[in-house]
Order: sequence, then C-alpha cells, then structure tokens
Amino acid sequence: MDMTFQEKSAWGLLVGIGLVSYFYFPAAFDIADNEPQPASLIGISIAGVIALIVIEAIYHAVIAGSSGSDGSMDERDAMIDMRSERNASYVLGIGLFSLVGHIIATHSITGKESVGALTIAVWILFAITASEVAKLIFQIWYYRADA
Amino acid sequence: MGKTRVRNNIRKLRFEHSEMTQQQLAEHVGVTRQTIVAIEKEKYSPSLEAAFLIADAFDEPLENVFSFER
Repeated sequence: MDMTFQEKSAWGLLVGIGLVSYFYFPAAFDIADNEPQPASLIGISIAGVIALIVIEAIYHAVIAGSSGSDGSMDERDAMIDMRSERNASYVLGIGLFSLVGHIIATHSITGKESVGALTIAVWILFAITASEVAKLIFQIWYYRADA
Repeated sequence: MGKTRVRNNIRKLRFEHSEMTQQQLAEHVGVTRQTIVAIEKEKYSPSLEAAFLIADAFDEPLENVFSFER
C-alpha cells in the first residue's frame, strides 16, 4: 500500500495501543476489583506506558528512516486528523457519560456505590484509550478512502 | 470521503509539462505525493493556497487548472 508517514504512524499506534491494552486492561480491572491494596496497579501501569513508548519509538524510527519524512503534517493530514479527532470525541463522551450514568443509577436504586474509585479510574482510562483507538481507525479509514 | 465537486486538469497538465511527476508537483506545493494523488483523483479539494501553488507550478491561471461542478 502507498502510505504517507502519518498513515504508517496511525497503523503503528493502533497496533501498539491494541497490543498493550490487550494485556493491560484485563489485569488492571482484576486488580482494581479484587485487591484491597492495589499497589501493583501502579506497577502494571508504568510497565504498560514503558512498553508503549518503546514499541512506538522503535516503529517510528524505522518508518522515518525508510520514508525520509520528518513527520510533519500537510493540509490533508491536518484535515483528516481534525475529522478523526471530532469523531473520537463522541466515543469518549459516550464512554464517560455511560460510566457516570451507571454510577448515578446504581446509587439511586440501591443506595450503595456500585464500583470503587480505582475501578472508576480504570474505566476512565479505558474510555480515553477507546477514543484514541477510534481516532486511529477513522484516520486510517479516511486515508484509505482517498487513496 | 467521496468525490468532490472540484474538477481539475492536473494529470493532463503534468503530461504537457515534460511529464512532471506527482512527487515534483508535491515538492513545489509543499504537500505529500499522496495528497497530490487524492487531489488528482478529485477525492480531496485542496486549500486555496495549495490550488494557487499548483496553478503556479504549471504557470497557468487557476481557472485553467480547476473548475467547479454545479
């Protein structure tokens, strides 16, 4: 496929985030739900961030070297980025409002907290990650539609 | 993104200008070659500045390069 640096970057980020999330979120939800002293959540969070940075640094160095691009955006890249960002904001909004709705509804009906603070934090991180994944999917889709 | 209503003669003009490559045109305009491909296929409407720079590359007035389908 004939791809710009920005499209290759979107593919790399999508695979990297997908890979790290596949291992991170099941473990993070498990720790947040089941461990009273979840210090290990900090540990796996740091490990996840480091893994993502290493994967992306190596990948972007390789694609920058092969394409000779400095990674700057042209006007079409910027337009695709803005459209994708706007679409992804709906995903983030739906995720966060669903979480807030669930907390309020459960508390109103049962009078108890449905989930702990740590689980809420992991759900917020999950919604942010899902919106980033959605943005990357929209970017790739727009690039392919124009190609 | 489907076809835009902005039509162009870029392919023909490139051929008439010593078979200018898409890469050469992209470098003149300051965009990627893939953006020139998208403009040429009428799947992306360039900004006014990019349109003027494309016309400048062929030393033609804007209306000889681009037209609008009503």
